Amino acid sequence: MKQKMLLGKIRQNATPQVIMAVVLAIILCYLVLVPIIVMIQQTFTVQAMERFQIPGSRTGDFTTRHWARMFTGDLAMAFLYRPLLNTLIVSISLALVSLLIGGTLAWLVVRTDMPNKKFISNLAIVPYIMPSWALALAWITLFKNRRIGGSLGLFEYLTGIAPPNWISYGMFPIILTLALHYFPFGFMLIGGALRNIDSQLEESAELLGASRWQVLKRVVIPLILPVVFSTFLLTFSRGLGTFGTPAFLGGPVRFTMLSTLLHANLVGQRPGMGYIVALIMILFGVLVLYMDHKVIGARRSFVTISGKSGMSGQVKLRKFGRPVSIIVIIFLLCVTVIPISVLAIETVMLIPGTYSLSNFSLHYWIGPVSHSIGLGTGEPGILRNAEVLNALFNSVRLGLIVSVICGTLGMLIGYTVVRLRGTRFSRFLDQLSFLPYLMPSIAFGAIFLALFAVQRGPIPSLYGSFTLLVIACVVKYLPFSSRAGIGAMMQIGPELEEAAVMVGARWTKRMGKIIFPMQKSAFFSGLLLPFISAMRELSLVVLLVSPRTQTATAITMKFTDRGWYPYTNAIMLLIVITILATTIVSRKLMKTDLAKGIGG
Amino acid sequence: MLRKSMIFATVFLLVFTTVLSAAGRTEPTVAPTKTIYDASDWDAVMEAAKKEGKVTVYAVTSRIQAAVQKFTEETGIQVEATRLSEVELIERVYQEGRTGVNNVDLVLIEDYPSMKELLIDTGYLVNFVPPEAIAHIPAQYHNPMVFAYVNRIIGYNTEKHPTDPFTSIWDLTLPEYKGRVMIRNLAITGEHQNAFTELIRRSDDLEAEYLRRFGKPLEKVESNAGLEFLRRLILNDIIIMTSDTRIAEAVGSRGQADPPYGFFHVYSKFRDIPRLNLALDFSKNIQPLGYYYGMYIQLAGKPRNPNAAMALANYLLTADGFTQWSNDVGIYSMSSEISHHPDDMPWQWWEERLWTYDPEFAAANRGFVLDTWLRYVQQ
Repeated sequence: MKQKMLLGKIRQNATPQVIMAVVLAIILCYLVLVPIIVMIQQTFTVQAMERFQIPGSRTGDFTTRHWARMFTGDLAMAFLYRPLLNTLIVSISLALVSLLIGGTLAWLVVRTDMPNKKFISNLAIVPYIMPSWALALAWITLFKNRRIGGSLGLFEYLTGIAPPNWISYGMFPIILTLALHYFPFGFMLIGGALRNIDSQLEESAELLGASRWQVLKRVVIPLILPVVFSTFLLTFSRGLGTFGTPAFLGGPVRFTMLSTLLHANLVGQRPGMGYIVALIMILFGVLVLYMDHKVIGARRSFVTISGKSGMSGQVKLRKFGRPVSIIVIIFLLCVTVIPISVLAIETVMLIPGTYSLSNFSLHYWIGPVSHSIGLGTGEPGILRNAEVLNALFNSVRLGLIVSVICGTLGMLIGYTVVRLRGTRFSRFLDQLSFLPYLMPSIAFGAIFLALFAVQRGPIPSLYGSFTLLVIACVVKYLPFSSRAGIGAMMQIGPELEEAAVMVGARWTKRMGKIIFPMQKSAFFSGLLLPFISAMRELSLVVLLVSPRTQTATAITMKFTDRGWYPYTNAIMLLIVITILATTIVSRKLMKTDLAKGIGG
Repeated sequence: MLRKSMIFATVFLLVFTTVLSAAGRTEPTVAPTKTIYDASDWDAVMEAAKKEGKVTVYAVTSRIQAAVQKFTEETGIQVEATRLSEVELIERVYQEGRTGVNNVDLVLIEDYPSMKELLIDTGYLVNFVPPEAIAHIPAQYHNPMVFAYVNRIIGYNTEKHPTDPFTSIWDLTLPEYKGRVMIRNLAITGEHQNAFTELIRRSDDLEAEYLRRFGKPLEKVESNAGLEFLRRLILNDIIIMTSDTRIAEAVGSRGQADPPYGFFHVYSKFRDIPRLNLALDFSKNIQPLGYYYGMYIQLAGKPRNPNAAMALANYLLTADGFTQWSNDVGIYSMSSEISHHPDDMPWQWWEERLWTYDPEFAAANRGFVLDTWLRYVQQ
């Protein structure tokens, strides 16, 4: 009797979203929570190289010393507070700047009649496709002063004016270059949301006598607020974790951030202290997520996709259309063409830094193995290097698989989180799917290696397999698509589905015929970020790759190793080109105009 | 209610069991039954090696991939080499050893103190002295088996300074070099951290050197002259870079009125002087004029292909096996069969002038170096 009641109760509660939630939660707990708990545990453990500094201790003993040193020791200022303050200033400013740029561009492309939209929306994602250090390198090439020696910066060369240190290095260029790298997040996410807003809502407001400003304040902004928050969260978190650019631009004036500190502790074999830094980053991410819930959760749900025609009306720019379009194009060309040129020029100069016509050559691209030409590397040109091309193929494969899985999971998570909104479980799932984004890649990679190295219960050993790379990247980049999914699902009301339930449609059918078709464009923008990120990932995959599963970025190490930057840059360019080509081809193949998802 | 508690129970059980078995780095290890590498009958080893599978190598140098090609041609033994950074290599071997994956057969590895603590004492790696080493490499380089030494020096621009500008390592802390000295970020350079422990260990030498140079005793804020040197070096507005290549180029570029100085960048960048037309030289008058560190060959505690690994270790120590490295300056084999690069000084010359570090002392003290670095480096 009791059993029957229990079964009945389960059946009654087991709606598709609940089952989905439970399944997702279990998978995510294993892939996300376990690594975090391992990290926490490590912060309380004496590490192998530290037993000397903690008298009488043995490796593996329990200790609170890491926490004490970080927070209250005489080094706490240097270890934590100063870098933390720097990091927060950089992350917040960079998130705001990229929101501003991304949001403005998205609005122009989606809601106005600005000319050349398609070109602009294609160009606007390129900054994120490039490695983040490309912009930093371009910045140094243009604006360095004599502090770091070598050849003159281009700006000083042309004008004779030496830029002051604060322009050349440190906080200012870090914020700017990172913002210029990450604004495509805002462009894509906000663009997707703006497109989904039924312009009838705005028109009704106008009919009721609302002014332009009122429409913006009372209708448009509240509608896109969730996605604005998501964008802020994603860029802010990137600011917390990015290492390359801060190290490169901050070093010359000794500007340190948390990410530098994290690396220092990992290189110094003090993972206990390193993981505390990582946990602090995670904590800040969760704080922003919590604020997101406070602000958004307090509101009613805004259903903007009604299933009726959603043709959005466009603001007429009239005589401003062309000038605005030109300004936007010039801006985008500056932030894409300049860094790409800086990369490209280095690949066609036999001897770096020598600007003479005879020094230009395609040797590093198509040259034969040689010990006498250029840097005399004994390596074949990139395009005839089977190893590089094979690795590139692996990267594309990885990117495609990861993005499709991420996109699908992201939609499902979005669906579940939104349908169960308000429950603690929904919030748990939301946060869980976001955490990996904030975890340092090398720690994440190491824990994954340990988790999947041998068979554990029903989970087989995935050591050295391509599957393991896929799983790691999926978990790491799921936040992109889960944020996109949640944002998108927020805008679909349950009414449509309820109607389908009434006529007896099964859940799979409802997903296939209603939810997915309506979210097609959001789905495809949700694919793009994981795809690009997986293709460019280095530190996460490096502990997990085997020579057979080598990726293109992992191969670049072979060249940076010896200062052969022409090859590294050529491979980076090849990655950029491949990503662009794949994006264009897949748009054609999938018959879903991605550009439409974001204007065009 | 019921639903919630069920979910919680499942999740809790799952997480708990996994955490127990997947803990990060300190779980008691499976008692290692180390392989004993027996090379007494070398013909038998080579015979057995040919019957084994593909040798897996992790190395901190990418040249390994070209180096093993000839080995494969000669012996028919296949090799699969992966290039990893020093930290990644240690982490990977450690995690694999801990979970019993036993993938790797041979490593070329740096950062001896970490390697000893995490990989040798745990039995994940084992030292092996191949016949080639017994024949041609002096016994002091046998444990751990030195593959090669790498050196780092202090570089200056020869256009500005036709002759060596430094007479003491303490000169770098003088006001005239304020904001002109560059160093690769110590926070991301494990060997820098190790090398600076030697300045602590030989504090008395450094203090005497200060007295010799300036004729007055050193006034210390830090507890010893080594850390005091590091403090003064940083506070002299040091410039932190991320790459030795970029440092060498910045220092050596021609046409600079006020070029920077490169503190402890790898000497191997000197191979590019003719090609890049650099005005670059290194300071020879000071003590120490730099430091060196070892790159070691170690075999796996539980190898898949023990004989093939021994064969490859032996090959890499021969002149043939070392070709990929010997055509460059700044890397030195200890074998009597391999002479130094024609443009380079013999190893004896370097060994007399460079410092290195004591692995035990470095393991115990490099934490203090990193702490001091982090404390003063904030602007």
